[in-house]
Amino acid sequence: MTIKTTVIGAYPKIGDGPDAQELRRALHRHDRGEIPDADLGKVFDEVTRATIGEIESAGVDVTNDGQIRWDDLLSPFAHAWSGVEPGPLERFYDNNTYFRQPVIDGRIVTDGRSLVRDYTFAAGVAKTKLKAAIPGPLTFATLAARDEQYGSLEERVLAIADATAREIAGLKAAGATMIDIEDPAVVALPQHIELAREAYGRFADPDLALTLVTYFFPADAVLESLASFPVAAIGIDVRSRDTTAFDRLDAFRTQSILLGVVDARNTRLETADEVARYTERALKLVPQERLTLAPTTSLEYLPRDVARAKLSALVEGARLVAGEKVPA
Amino acid sequence: MNDNLLLTTTVGSFGKPDYLTKARAQAARGKLGATELEELERKATAEWIRRQEDIGLDVLVDGEMYRGDMVAYFAERLEGFRLGGLVRSYGNRYYHKPVIAGKVSRPKAMTVSWFEYTQSLTSKPVKGMLTGPYTLLDWSYNEAYPTRRDAALALAEIVRDEARDLERAGAKYIQIDEPAIHARPEEIEIAIEAMGIVTAGLSAKTISHICYGDFAAIYPQVLDLPVDQLDLAMANYGYRWLDLFDRNPFTKELAIGIVDVHVHETESVEVAAEGIRKGLRYVSADKLWPHPDCGLKTRTIEESVEKCTAVVEATKVVRKELAKVPA
Repeated sequence: MTIKTTVIGAYPKIGDGPDAQELRRALHRHDRGEIPDADLGKVFDEVTRATIGEIESAGVDVTNDGQIRWDDLLSPFAHAWSGVEPGPLERFYDNNTYFRQPVIDGRIVTDGRSLVRDYTFAAGVAKTKLKAAIPGPLTFATLAARDEQYGSLEERVLAIADATAREIAGLKAAGATMIDIEDPAVVALPQHIELAREAYGRFADPDLALTLVTYFFPADAVLESLASFPVAAIGIDVRSRDTTAFDRLDAFRTQSILLGVVDARNTRLETADEVARYTERALKLVPQERLTLAPTTSLEYLPRDVARAKLSALVEGARLVAGEKVPA
Repeated sequence: MNDNLLLTTTVGSFGKPDYLTKARAQAARGKLGATELEELERKATAEWIRRQEDIGLDVLVDGEMYRGDMVAYFAERLEGFRLGGLVRSYGNRYYHKPVIAGKVSRPKAMTVSWFEYTQSLTSKPVKGMLTGPYTLLDWSYNEAYPTRRDAALALAEIVRDEARDLERAGAKYIQIDEPAIHARPEEIEIAIEAMGIVTAGLSAKTISHICYGDFAAIYPQVLDLPVDQLDLAMANYGYRWLDLFDRNPFTKELAIGIVDVHVHETESVEVAAEGIRKGLRYVSADKLWPHPDCGLKTRTIEESVEKCTAVVEATKVVRKELAKVPA
């Protein structure tokens, strides 16, 4: 038996040693006009390459590109989509990490290729299975600072869902088969769950492994609803807050579960034993082939050396379970 | 006219002069000694005191020339903390996020000598500036305490001791910032309980600055935070928090942010004055303190001076209007 492991979201862009801060220096120099866009782009690519290598060397089964070029979850799209601009800085949920709130000043239009270049680059680098990621429509819509275009939250969410559908189609055409849809608003604002479900209907695709990734907040209030979303898998954070979800994972009868068992927002390091205990608890309710272990959210909330150690704990825990379980 | 109407102040931090930024980088690399660095920090502090006096601000701050970050500064001086690795806050900005690794304690006062030095430079009152226990917790990794409440209450005793030392040193105003207070609205009771430990028995005027995040999520509960004055970013939010006061009257003094610190351009005096007038609909002039939305450390010195000047000039305009209204 094997238990699969993966990452979520962004990976730390720099480390603590001076040799691990190339991107930070390059961005400073770029800001001062000392290096052209092309040189900064090369550094982004190199750091992406190193990040994928670091994630893979930890033994993770499914990697992503670490979102090294992203300022925040929404920024690539706030820049690329017409009708949207990056606006004021705001705290990203309950983190001391900030993002630019999108300002919607026109009809949202995209060619669906916002991530294609980066995905193609990462696919050329990754030796393991690679997945892409995109923010969920409810999250994007509810984090907007202003909307001068759409008359209601419903209209805004569905317009963003249509743009998301184009991005997903673009990624699919570029070869992506697995895409995370990071949508913490689904659990932060459970009152909008039906609207979110309608939005997901706009980009459902049985040929793609789409994962609705939630984090930060308990999924308790929406667990049964999530089980009927048109996605292949649901990501659940069982560490950030008290939750009953851990004991109700059998609500998901067909979907896979991406279980956030390693706390990506605290430096306290889980032992492999601890990870194995969480896993065995989940295995009582979910068959092993539908379970993937992950950090609770982006590892970028941690210093890079801790992020790397968290991945090791995750992988070791998964292997411990695999080794201990004897087929009946 | 009452001199204590619309007292002007700032939230706490100012931009560091280039010579100090360079010196701090050198000191971090071990190429500049602590004494040499402190000399430059004192020079920069004195310059900011002079600037604040020239601008005409009423209640001054030391500008935090000797602090990098509002949590790390304290974490570096407390036992039980370890300085963590670099974590990104936004864009290309990183900070060393502290780790609560053991039981916390305060070997000695952390801000008192800076308060004494700064107050010695001016006859105007200088605020004592601390970071609140809930924010110290929320902006650190907690590896040591079983619950967030346990950690917040332990930190509250430390902040209380520092606040008492500031009061003994003559501070008439003590600001205990809680910008993280609405990070988890369900924990507002913890923040209130912790602040109660800090401010119990203080006779100084107590202030708490809150910024970023969903203030509506903690209103009106935040009125139970045991401080005399809440200090809120308003300009950046289009004054929308004032609407909350329609339903639940605001019961404390209000330091009102009337210029946005996150844009380079300075608001006109008229725009800033309109912010004060908006505040006056809810809080009387003896309880309303105009100031910039937040700390100015991300702005240049010139931008900071312009923003503060706009605050002072706008206040003069509104004070004149008030003087014309018959009592």
